[in-house]
Amino acid sequence: MWIADFIAAVVAILLGSAVIILSSQLPYMAEYGPGPGFLPLWVGVGILACAIVIFIQVLKKHGKTTNFFKPGTKTGVKILIEIIVTFLLFPLLGFSVPLGLFTGVAMRTMGKHRWISCSVTALVTAVCVHFLFGDYLNIPLPTGRIGF
Amino acid sequence: MDLLHNLYIGFSIALTWVNLLYCGVGVLVGQIIGVLPGIGAPTAIALLLPLTFAVNPTSALIMFAGIYYGVAYGGTITSVLINVPGESSTVMTCIDGYQMALKGRAGAALSIAAIGSWIAGTASVVLLMAFAPALARFGLRFGPSEYFSLAFMAFGLLTVFGGESPVKIIFSTLLGLLLATIGLDVVSGLPRFAFGMPQLLGGIDFIVIICGIFGVAEVFNSIEEPEETSLVKEKMRLRDLFLTWEEWVASRWAIVRGGVIGFFIGLIPAGGITTASFLAYLAEKRYSKHPERFGTGAIEGVAAPESANNSASISGFAPLLALGIPGSPTTAVMLAGFMMWGIRPGPLLFQTKPDMVWGLIASMYVGNFLLLLMNLFLIPAFVAMLRVPYSALMGFIVIFASIGAFSVNNNLFDVWMMLGFGLLGYVMKKLDYPIVPLVLALVLGRLAENSLRQSLTLSGGSLSIFFTRPFSLLFIIAGILAYFSPLIWWGIKRLRTANARITT
Repeated sequence: MWIADFIAAVVAILLGSAVIILSSQLPYMAEYGPGPGFLPLWVGVGILACAIVIFIQVLKKHGKTTNFFKPGTKTGVKILIEIIVTFLLFPLLGFSVPLGLFTGVAMRTMGKHRWISCSVTALVTAVCVHFLFGDYLNIPLPTGRIGF
Repeated sequence: MDLLHNLYIGFSIALTWVNLLYCGVGVLVGQIIGVLPGIGAPTAIALLLPLTFAVNPTSALIMFAGIYYGVAYGGTITSVLINVPGESSTVMTCIDGYQMALKGRAGAALSIAAIGSWIAGTASVVLLMAFAPALARFGLRFGPSEYFSLAFMAFGLLTVFGGESPVKIIFSTLLGLLLATIGLDVVSGLPRFAFGMPQLLGGIDFIVIICGIFGVAEVFNSIEEPEETSLVKEKMRLRDLFLTWEEWVASRWAIVRGGVIGFFIGLIPAGGITTASFLAYLAEKRYSKHPERFGTGAIEGVAAPESANNSASISGFAPLLALGIPGSPTTAVMLAGFMMWGIRPGPLLFQTKPDMVWGLIASMYVGNFLLLLMNLFLIPAFVAMLRVPYSALMGFIVIFASIGAFSVNNNLFDVWMMLGFGLLGYVMKKLDYPIVPLVLALVLGRLAENSLRQSLTLSGGSLSIFFTRPFSLLFIIAGILAYFSPLIWWGIKRLRTANARITT
């Protein structure tokens, strides 16, 4: 966990510095008062100040923290990959089919469910998403190349 | 008379079939959300918000309010029966509620929680009716300097009530403010942090961030650390729900004290229902003649925090409706809803939308009554919901989050952004960076910046405008004290230790 805290503190310092640099390119004052760069600049200064304090705190507690990764992290990564694949399928297959497939596959990944129950859940979910969100709630979900 | 007339208007709206249905659905969903682990009130409302584009705002608001106070009821069931708080606001209930369940008094614990919540909740609605219009009249005197100072104080109070590292709380607040500045500047029209991407020119929609940071992040956190539960094996009969005379005598004043504490904590920006239940429990323990009973199954230890969290969830609507300042993540999400429907909550809301405000307030009487009935007679049905596997629930969270993010602009870019914020929320939670300050700052960011710029424009760039107007000065002082409260407490502790050394 210490390395994760360390990386987070470094990222926070970089973020604060980037915000200061980017906001200093915006006008600090306008004709009648503060300009668009006024608040972002001070927010950047604040982020950098906090990040430095956090960085010092992290350096002080070296070796006193637990593991960042837990036994369930592996499953979490699998689910993340499944979500990414689902989102990549949206332009091709629309929303209903990929979200239905995701529900079924994720159930299989997460729990000890049989393929048959996962398949039925996937099918019911796809149909429900299509009719509930697309038809009943009138959300213009993209249909993809298969037209569903 | 005005109050009674307004209440009459409110009930004539709340008691229409459509609004009764929305109220019923809201409290039922809230109760279920409270029972199910890994999903809270802000997540549920954020996921459902995009689906209410076409719904009458009053009905949608009645439903969301029902979810908010329904969650506090539902969370009690898991706190008592499996020692796992369904909601952070029911953490304190676990201490004595679970002990009561182990002694075979689960029914009494659930019963006093429902009755206490109903009494305190209903009393809180009565106080809200009197207090919110007065607060709105008070808010009419506010100018931009007062609004900026109020936002400054609200951010500062997060360091008092946040309970985590003050530096991380301030960092998270600043991150929320930074996210709020993304997009075209409303005054100059210049793009800020858009990196030439047209999708970012309009800013990042609040719903996209909330669906990611509460919905998807919670999925990853729950997968990684599943909650180990052990249900108290007790078959509950109706007669088990009845309280003994001794239990009633022990709890009656705890309900009153919890309700009063909850009402006032709910009024404070960033106070929140979790803080209310925590303080009510501590106060009850301190006040008790037998504090040693707390932690072993004292019924007052259930009555006080449960009354407080329900009371606070209702009084939390006062600053939202009267000033447009949310006091908790849930009311922050509701503020986003107001914006989505094109309504600006604040002092004028009571004059421009009296039907909405009084309809919402009247619906709280109805909702609390429905929840009382549900919690006295339908507990076995809600307990059965604990068997819903998280593997199935998780899929639905991802579905609602994806469609919610997409429906904002009908754009797949927002769906990817939502996933990105989900990962940010996951990492923040793992590394103990609080999320609530980010959300509050995100919602109040535009208001804070616009008020700051208007104030400084009015004063010709002089900061004196914040110190020469009495209310503004008051809020600024309170904010500064809040920001420095960790240092002040540290100093007091050092002084006490030094004094103790001298006396010995």
